[in-house]
Amino acid sequence: MLMAGLLASAEHGLNRVLRMDSTALPRLAALEGKVIEIDCRQPAMQVFILPDEQGLMLASAWEGEVDCRLRAPAASLAHLALSRDKTAVLHSPQVQLHGDTAALLDLFGILQDLELDWEHELQKWLGPVPTSLIAGHIRLRTRWTRQGLARLSQSLSEYLAEESRTLVGKREAEAAFSELDAMKVDTERLEARILRLSRSLDSSDNA
Amino acid sequence: MNDQRKGDHAEPTTHFGYQDVPESQKARKVAEVFHSVAAKYDLMNDVLSGGMHRLWKRFTIELSGVRSGNRVLDIAGGTGDLAAKFARLVGPTGHVVLADINESMLKVGRDRLLDRGVAGNIEFVQADAEKLPFPDNHFDCVTIAFGLRNVTHKEDAIRSMLRVLKPGGRLLVLEFSKPTNKLMSKAYDAYSFAFMPLAGKLITNDSESYRYLAESIRMHPDQETLKAMMVQAGFDRVTYHNMTSGIVAVHRGIKP
Repeated sequence: MLMAGLLASAEHGLNRVLRMDSTALPRLAALEGKVIEIDCRQPAMQVFILPDEQGLMLASAWEGEVDCRLRAPAASLAHLALSRDKTAVLHSPQVQLHGDTAALLDLFGILQDLELDWEHELQKWLGPVPTSLIAGHIRLRTRWTRQGLARLSQSLSEYLAEESRTLVGKREAEAAFSELDAMKVDTERLEARILRLSRSLDSSDNA
Repeated sequence: MNDQRKGDHAEPTTHFGYQDVPESQKARKVAEVFHSVAAKYDLMNDVLSGGMHRLWKRFTIELSGVRSGNRVLDIAGGTGDLAAKFARLVGPTGHVVLADINESMLKVGRDRLLDRGVAGNIEFVQADAEKLPFPDNHFDCVTIAFGLRNVTHKEDAIRSMLRVLKPGGRLLVLEFSKPTNKLMSKAYDAYSFAFMPLAGKLITNDSESYRYLAESIRMHPDQETLKAMMVQAGFDRVTYHNMTSGIVAVHRGIKP
């Protein structure tokens, strides 16, 4: 019953989030009738996902047929949920996949492409004017934070590379790699010349 | 097993809570109870079960294995909790029938589902569980949630459900049952006979209906008896799952 309660709460929250993206539910409608089983090995837990045009239904048990079964440890499942290149994760040895994999990939794609219209949701609760003010403020703060983080990252890398000399700078490293490449090519050329010379010496001795 | 059919001379009696009443009166008395509580049925369910009835119904749906395109009959469907979920699961190619003997409950259920946009693949039928007005071998799944204990002739109802199921179809009976833990049983008795009528009085101004609810639960067959009734009626692979220490059990049987 505890698991059923947790899944009911998760389903409720997930469906609210899905409703905030105008494209998610129509895309889920294409998966209606599919049953996807996620079988987590460590810790042992099973969740069945039934998508339809109203969102997702989650179940801890399902007596009917399953279209797609994904079996993996929790770490691989988390990696799969967050990774952009899902095919690479699905091919890893810890992951077992049976049945209609297209349904599973489509579902992950829908969840990954979510673009939440949080302003619309906030507007329903607070009204248009406060939402506009709050949204403008949040956007400004977000932009400021993003720019601040980018500047911090740039200053930190410059300090480590140029001032403290803890790390090698990017251009310095590129120059060193370029010299190494040139040296490698020169060495190969020299090796080929020596080989040719030794062959010509051998042929003159025989004559 | 709950029926006490007597000879030709006296009218047979049956249980109505702790009272013995003539069979002809039970349906009317049950109807009066549900007419009285229909408007606040959902609220009372949430208050009395602490919201647990949603999880019990959720587990029943998980056991149903209903798929897109299936035909489902929800008997004593009341305010349509199960029927709404089934309508989602069967999709536009499937069909759900919400049946209830009580006109008031059916009306509340129909209005509620239509208001929520549940339509197109659902039908509302006023029907007696003992004489289901559907063809033989018609449904993939039949459910009855918290309704069987109010039926006068339970064996007849179970046989009727068997008749309308397709071979391989599933019957799910979600009903109050007998707690498996003695301590829980005592606490549950105190809760049922003290709190439930009081809550009924405060919320619906009707304590008698909730006293009947507590009594009818005690008179309902326990897990093993109901299982035997389903086997006797002709169901195969009958199993049951206790929930919340056996306060509620869901029985499942397959039509051979």
